[in-house]
Amino acid sequence: MDSHIIKLHKVNFYYGQTQALTDISMNFGQNRVTALIGPSGCGKSTLLRLLNRMNDLIDGTKVEGEILFEGRNIYAPNIDPVEIRRKVGMVFQKPNPFPKTIYNNISYGPKLTGVTVADMDSLVEQSLRQAVLWDEVKDILNKSAMNLSGGQQQRLCIARALAMKPDVLLMDEPTSALDPISTAKIEELIEELKKDYTIIIVTHNMQQAARISDETAFFYLGNLVEYNKTEKIFTNPDVKQTEDYITGRFG
Amino acid sequence: MRWRYLKQSVFFGLVSASALIITLVLGGIIFYIITNGYSVISLDFITKPPTDSMTKGGIMPAIIGTIYLTVGAIAIGLPFGIASAIYLTEYARQGKIVRIIKIGINCLAGVPSVVFGLFGLGFFVIFLKFGSSILAGSLTLGFLILPTIIGASEEALKSVPQTFREASLSLGVSKWQTIYRIVLPNALPGILTGSILGIGRAAGETAPIMFTAAAFFTAKLPSSIFDEVMALPYHIYVLATAGTNIEATRPIQFGTVLVLVGVVLGIDLIAIIIRGYMRRKKRW
Ligand SMILES: Nc1ncnc2c1ncn2[C@@H]1O[C@H](COP(=O)(O)OP(=O)(O)OP(=O)(O)O)[C@@H](O)[C@H]1O
Ligand SMILES: [Mg+2]
Repeated sequence: MDSHIIKLHKVNFYYGQTQALTDISMNFGQNRVTALIGPSGCGKSTLLRLLNRMNDLIDGTKVEGEILFEGRNIYAPNIDPVEIRRKVGMVFQKPNPFPKTIYNNISYGPKLTGVTVADMDSLVEQSLRQAVLWDEVKDILNKSAMNLSGGQQQRLCIARALAMKPDVLLMDEPTSALDPISTAKIEELIEELKKDYTIIIVTHNMQQAARISDETAFFYLGNLVEYNKTEKIFTNPDVKQTEDYITGRFG
Repeated sequence: MRWRYLKQSVFFGLVSASALIITLVLGGIIFYIITNGYSVISLDFITKPPTDSMTKGGIMPAIIGTIYLTVGAIAIGLPFGIASAIYLTEYARQGKIVRIIKIGINCLAGVPSVVFGLFGLGFFVIFLKFGSSILAGSLTLGFLILPTIIGASEEALKSVPQTFREASLSLGVSKWQTIYRIVLPNALPGILTGSILGIGRAAGETAPIMFTAAAFFTAKLPSSIFDEVMALPYHIYVLATAGTNIEATRPIQFGTVLVLVGVVLGIDLIAIIIRGYMRRKKRW
């Protein structure tokens, strides 16, 4: 298998007293799409938010173990979480554009993070093209992003993350609020983005996981139950629990 | 079923009656002030200083003084208030200490204004040697309205959706930049709404400026922030209690009250216009 961009070694995570993740060890391949699946509350979002230190925002959380990003432990004391988040972008379950113009939504990150952008206009265009939104919005770049449809907003949020040119893109159920057409567009987009980015996606949609991912990890009650090639997980999983879950015979 | 209906009508009647009574009382007060005061209102009244031991002439120095003091109080109260609220809601770890600080701030809001006046006298006027001045008065009024502004700002900051913060932070934008670029602009209309209450209070209070800024009489306008000024509320107090001829100056007293109400409404109006302008830019 090719190189691993993110490596987790014996990771435990706690919200206050309650443990949300137990002894997670797994590696994420570079330029691969990895799907995280499992029943509600099993810790998928928690794991995702660990990878760009978004859990730091919650008071009273605790991380144990090692999370290496490009070989560096991102929870080491000398690491600036802001730095990590520039390289590990995130797309949220609910589209959350800023109440700004479409253009300013995209330019916001690059402008404020001190990246010198020679040509902001072309960066905006490039990011919107990558997110397959350019044709729909090229004439309304100075209109509020809040007027876009849900699916357009979500692609805008993807474009916004891509404008930072991250190495990894984390997606937490990015299509759960969208109609089938928007969902299909975003799935195609993920296929496309895979060439340049490492993608880790949480989804409750088994077909989606099967369609778009190379590897799939199944979580249950904060434990990593099975982590395998997607094809294998969906045809011949090693663990009975996994099979029960993906065939809907769970619980 | 009938009983429920009856109960509902009685309740509705009570609520409407309360609203009606409040409106009538308010309208009555304003009507009373206008009928008693409008006769003295003229261009001279608002552009000329008092004459003849303040029994004649205008109240221009007091208008200017009140505007200075109110703007000064806002200039001090708003930045400190917003900064405190940002610390309390965005930075401080939510827990016992923050709770105690918040209770303290709420208590401060209930402290009688004369206590602020005495504090201003002891600290700004005497200890810091500002003398009775615009600076000392503005600081005292600024402190007086601080709890109101902090409270309003906290509410406004909390009402900014957490998803905006997450979106910004997830791009690798720092916490301060996130607050400055996303949270604050979206909270400002709310902050202003709540602060309008404080502004009205700053303009209308007598006790805090009595010892710290207000002059009994001065015809000249202040030339620096270390000068004393006349102020509308104090002028009313003086005319109504210590003037040379209290009865004869009744119309002037009411006229001054009318102008004070006008100034407060004017400042509020400016705040409302600014807020409206900001609101048009925000949508979520
Ligand atoms: N901020 C929080 N504070 C305390 N506990 C939390 C917090 N967020 C999540 N949890 C708990 O951690 C566990 C894992 O939550 P998480 O959100 O990671 O689940 P999930 O797999 O993403 O679920 P879903 O599919 O419903 O999104 C749950 O038991 C949840 O109650
Ligand atoms: Mg989740």
